[in-house]
Amino acid sequence: MNKGRTGETTTDKAIMTCADFQERLPELFETKADLSADEHLKTCENCAALVRDLEYIAQQAKLLLPIHDPSPSVWENIRTAIRNDESSKSGPPPLPSVPPTGV
Amino acid sequence: MSAGPTESKPANHQHLRRNPPILGEAEAIAAAQAGDERAFETLYALHKRRVYSLCLRMLGNIAAAEDLTQDAFLQLYRKIGTFRGDSAFSTWLHRLAVNVVLMHLRKKGVPQISLEEALEPAQDDGPRRDFGERDLQLSGSIDRVTLERAIEDLPPGYRLIFVLHDVEGYEHNEIAEMLSCSIGNSKSQLHKARMKLRDLLRNGQRKATAV
Repeated sequence: MNKGRTGETTTDKAIMTCADFQERLPELFETKADLSADEHLKTCENCAALVRDLEYIAQQAKLLLPIHDPSPSVWENIRTAIRNDESSKSGPPPLPSVPPTGV
Repeated sequence: MSAGPTESKPANHQHLRRNPPILGEAEAIAAAQAGDERAFETLYALHKRRVYSLCLRMLGNIAAAEDLTQDAFLQLYRKIGTFRGDSAFSTWLHRLAVNVVLMHLRKKGVPQISLEEALEPAQDDGPRRDFGERDLQLSGSIDRVTLERAIEDLPPGYRLIFVLHDVEGYEHNEIAEMLSCSIGNSKSQLHKARMKLRDLLRNGQRKATAV
């Protein structure tokens, strides 16, 4: 491996810059492939550290659930609002209909 | 009336994270669509925690998160008749909740709030490319509180996509449906969100070690 200017790593097989690798990174993550086998990562400690960090962040995020429940007053408020909705929809009780009196 | 008896237990974390069929949910949806208040209460009990979690992580404020949870479920009550089962109920409900959150942020004058804009944070808020700086390593060093705080500091669009995917466990196709964006957009924004989060966490570490 030859190490050129910052951000560029060359190997005998191919030239892969860090910019090239990081451009591909979103798709690589989505394939859920084992990135440790990636040629660029074998030779670039900087990008390997980046991948380790991003994988670590995603792993830690999975541990964040669950948050506790909302307080019971939330359901009480919803129920009250629903009942208000329903009573305003139905309106005042209809007046009793007056039977025809005939002629 | 208490929502307790019908509550789902969070014992199995993975069970909550991916959208498995929930026992009794289909029947509760049908009954709630017919106006059954107890069935609606069942739906509330099944989904309140995830909707509240989303609101709380997006707003970082318990009172505001509870208000928006209430708004989201009231909207659900008014619109449940339009649910046709084309997507998972949870995805449909989350889309509704996401809209309530974005509307709230827009009213508060927070920038980047339309669904389109939320997915394209301002240039200044974006993550930097990483072509150097090997001085810090995050692995093993971030606790839950630190991560929650860093998530709070993400721009709203990044925060939303990160919470939906990495925390809540939604897939990109579900997020694309919720946010009316492409799957590719969801993937690229998630990557930018993780990169930005890494920046925030590393900056926090630098400050901590400098003190």
